[in-house]
Amino acid sequence: MELTPEQRESILGWQLIAPCLGVIGLLIIYPILYNLYLSFFDVKLTGDKIFIGLANYEKLLKDTAFYGSVLTTFIYLVGTVFGTTLVALLVALLMNLEFPLRSLVRTLILLPYFAPVISVVFGWQFIFDPVNGIYNHVVVEVLGISAERHNLIGEPKTAIFVVIVFDIWKHFPISYLLIVSKLQSINKDQYEAAAIDGYGPFGRFIHVTLPGLYFVLGTLIILRFIWNLNKFEDVFLLAPNVETLPIFTYYAAFTGIIDQGFAASVSVVQFMLLSFLIYFYVKKVLKW
Amino acid sequence: MKKTWLKTGTILVAWIFVGTTVSATTIEFWTTETQSDRMKTIQLLMDTYQALNPDITVKLVPVDENEMPSQMAAASAAGTLPGLIEGSSELMLAFGEEGILDEKGASRLVDKVGKKRFFQGALKMMEVPGGGNYYALPYHGWVQGIWYRADWFKDAGLDPPDTWENILTAAKTFYKPQQNQYGILVGTKPEAYTEQCFTHFALSNGAGEFNSSGELIFNSQQTLDTLIYYAGLAKYNPPGPQTWRARDYYIQGKLAMFFYSTYIMDDLALAEVAAGSLTNAHFPQLSKSTFDSKLVDNTQFVATITKTKPGAYGAIVGLGLVNQKSKEKNEAAQKLLEFLYEPTSYITFLHMAPGGMNPMLRDIASNPDYLNDPKGVFNRYGRNKIEEIISGLDNIGSFTIVAGKTFPAAGKIYAKQIIPRMVYSATIEGMNPADALKWAESQMKSVINE
Repeated sequence: MELTPEQRESILGWQLIAPCLGVIGLLIIYPILYNLYLSFFDVKLTGDKIFIGLANYEKLLKDTAFYGSVLTTFIYLVGTVFGTTLVALLVALLMNLEFPLRSLVRTLILLPYFAPVISVVFGWQFIFDPVNGIYNHVVVEVLGISAERHNLIGEPKTAIFVVIVFDIWKHFPISYLLIVSKLQSINKDQYEAAAIDGYGPFGRFIHVTLPGLYFVLGTLIILRFIWNLNKFEDVFLLAPNVETLPIFTYYAAFTGIIDQGFAASVSVVQFMLLSFLIYFYVKKVLKW
Repeated sequence: MKKTWLKTGTILVAWIFVGTTVSATTIEFWTTETQSDRMKTIQLLMDTYQALNPDITVKLVPVDENEMPSQMAAASAAGTLPGLIEGSSELMLAFGEEGILDEKGASRLVDKVGKKRFFQGALKMMEVPGGGNYYALPYHGWVQGIWYRADWFKDAGLDPPDTWENILTAAKTFYKPQQNQYGILVGTKPEAYTEQCFTHFALSNGAGEFNSSGELIFNSQQTLDTLIYYAGLAKYNPPGPQTWRARDYYIQGKLAMFFYSTYIMDDLALAEVAAGSLTNAHFPQLSKSTFDSKLVDNTQFVATITKTKPGAYGAIVGLGLVNQKSKEKNEAAQKLLEFLYEPTSYITFLHMAPGGMNPMLRDIASNPDYLNDPKGVFNRYGRNKIEEIISGLDNIGSFTIVAGKTFPAAGKIYAKQIIPRMVYSATIEGMNPADALKWAESQMKSVINE
């Protein structure tokens, strides 16, 4: 049978993407499906599996701590994603102005992002140590703002905010980099035209800068949502009592004799939640 | 010429084949001694063992005790289980119950090392329910107690902290947060240290997890009273959730009492260890304290706390053989275990933390080589003190043993960190102690039913 040129092209297309599909299938699709499969079993340490249907999901949905962790995750996500984006936008606008030593400052801004997470976490823990930390020393002894020392990282009420501030500080440089590169590509003529139309600095920001940054900001927000919903190391190392979903999964499944089936069910729910959030964001907020 | 090449080639291939076959057995030894100086000593022991057994390679892997269950699960799933593991008796019971430990191998080695040479209380903590077999072999153990500033107590006219009342009074007296000084350190973070401190109080109030018929009795008046008392005591801690690392505050002169095992002995005695801590040598602007060279003389130790009965707490750390698929690996691990019980290697191991790691074999405890540690810690404290500590190991209580019977479910509960999470809720999150206790009971029930 003679193939039409379109069919031949289509076959070639499939052949070209086949290796990529194979790799994605092996590294992404297979683990997701296997995880889903495991979530219906009680997996023993010896490797034996007993089919238990939806019991793992039932156990998860009956756990009140799970809902607490969903709320914590929500606060963490909103705080970090919008905090990072706002700080990055502000810094990018500043760095887009001409001033002496601008390149040096631009480089220095990237440092928190490059520093290894474990070393900066230890640094922050030293800063906030309730007995020896510099934060309490300054606040209590030097400035006298507070009469008593606080363990900001340890106390559950304040820990979440320290974790949010830490994440903003550590990760705003990557958002800043993307925003500043886009800012530089916005045509200066547009600003001049807006100025002629009578717009001040704020009006120019709203009508020229923001529309220019729309897709970059949209992409950044979606990426940071995905990263931060799955973020484990920053939160766990700095304040393990801030139970976001990944930390909840770790405690629920990996503390004690591991419960792989239950862990799989938590991961599936987390995955579904992430997919829903992204769908909602893309379709309803960004309207892509 | 061709023949020579052929011969050389054949010999080379044979050598590679034989060589790789001979050195084919590789096992992993997972140790919970993760500190780098201890790792160096254990590596030295492994090198010696490998020199004596050129056909075996041992890979030493440090694993944090809190991480041990998850690491074992991951290794089990990946089919890369270690040959030998070091861990607390609770963990050994939990792993044994899951069927991943080589009970037969361990029991055979107990007989080979000499059943009667072991401290019987310690051996009992590794026993398979029903008696006769063992999940693992006890290797070293520590006793926990309250270390306190005897000079401060004397000046304040207080009695030693050996009863609930004395402890609370002292904690209140020395709690001066305006001066950055705190009354006591008890664990409040959800991790093993917290359970160890809490269990000590619970045992002194007659609380337990199981009765002798194996029924869960954790939610009792005794446990509730202990939790209420503990939450009250934790108010005199340094701010926020705390764990054993806060012992540095004691070395800096900012704490009156702290719970710790006998591991602290070399830390207190050796100035170089303290110098590595957070002193004003590093942060002159932070504190007015300097390292106190008289700290050892001014520090006293109370191992038994009394409320309704005397309670002593400690832990036995064992070595467990893990079921391997290969017979060679099983044998290599057994051989390594046997090597670690030989007096020279055993004493070398124990000398990593004199006072902290105490022997489980009676004859080693009285061995002059053992009592002459290279750091001079035993001389600093005196032979009597050391013998007193070691003998204390026979009296320590635990939730895993009731009336001479072991309850592996208690090991699983320990591994799940239910008690420390309960304590965290009651002390830091402000949960009502009765509710926290109820929550812990429900968690324990689900662990037992799994």
